[in-house]
Amino acid sequence: MSILFRNIEAGYKFQPVVQSYVQSAIDHYALASLDMNPVHTNEEWAARAKVFGIPETVGHGMMTMSTLASVVTREWGVIGKDGGSLRFVDAKFTKPVKVGETVTATGTVKRKHHYGPGKNWVLIAVEAKDSAGDLIGLAEVGYNLPD
Amino acid sequence: MPVPSRLDRFIETEKQRHFHRDFMVGWEAYETWEEATVGQSGPGQRTFKITEEDILDYNLACGETDPLMVDPEYARKNSPTGELLQHPIFVTTIAFYSLGESGIGTWIRTPGARNPQQRIEIVEPFRYGEIITTTVSTADKFTQRSKPYLQMLLDFRNEKNVLKARWWCSLILPETRADVARFANA
Repeated sequence: MSILFRNIEAGYKFQPVVQSYVQSAIDHYALASLDMNPVHTNEEWAARAKVFGIPETVGHGMMTMSTLASVVTREWGVIGKDGGSLRFVDAKFTKPVKVGETVTATGTVKRKHHYGPGKNWVLIAVEAKDSAGDLIGLAEVGYNLPD
Repeated sequence: MPVPSRLDRFIETEKQRHFHRDFMVGWEAYETWEEATVGQSGPGQRTFKITEEDILDYNLACGETDPLMVDPEYARKNSPTGELLQHPIFVTTIAFYSLGESGIGTWIRTPGARNPQQRIEIVEPFRYGEIITTTVSTADKFTQRSKPYLQMLLDFRNEKNVLKARWWCSLILPETRADVARFANA
């Protein structure tokens, strides 16, 4: 099925994205994003500072935001083969992701925005949970779709 | 504070080789919540030249496997831009590189900061060779449930002044320099 505005309805569900937040994955993200805050990479400092009230490193919020966005882009593309494109990502973080966690993110088309030919887009609600099933983040993703 | 040496094995890009990886160096000069003034605006400390390796490493760190995002040769032949497609949250790298260790917006590096919410808008893809200037504006400053929030708007424009992306970046911060010091010296 082509990913076109007329073919997509509210309720469309995306394939889940499962992402590991082991320390090596967080370390790689720290280098790639240049966010070297020691709360993500330095276990001794994290244990002393307890920024989130826990004596452990945590994943970057922006890493969680990336996982949330990937739910949409892995299925429809950053730029889709039918011409769609990501418009925005609006994310909230509800619980720190402790080192070693596995995060599962899911998404559903929430509504369609009828802006007219060539300007239509859909809003996708995405949420991510940790291995205990607790919500760690949620996002609204806007995605432009060809007619 | 030394950065754990185990991170060295992830160094892949020229920017990573030269970036000051000790987040605590110069923290005494970082802008604090109490100092920030809504409406203040200015350019980041550095510009950011978009390279293939920057995009590739960010995509890999996000766990991407789509060849349009991680295989430069495949992307040259098949991507709509003829280049690797960047993950939409790639602006994070541009911001942390550009804001640097002094000047407006340095509070993004504050030890003890917590990340409550972020909004990123994509206008058009970044292209190899573009020189991106990040303009920082202090957009909002408020307390909510007794926590001090700061929000800045980051505009990312290329050398032709074309807007490529915008990021409303919010953090909950230690309120005063003394509060920051408690985390910096932990």
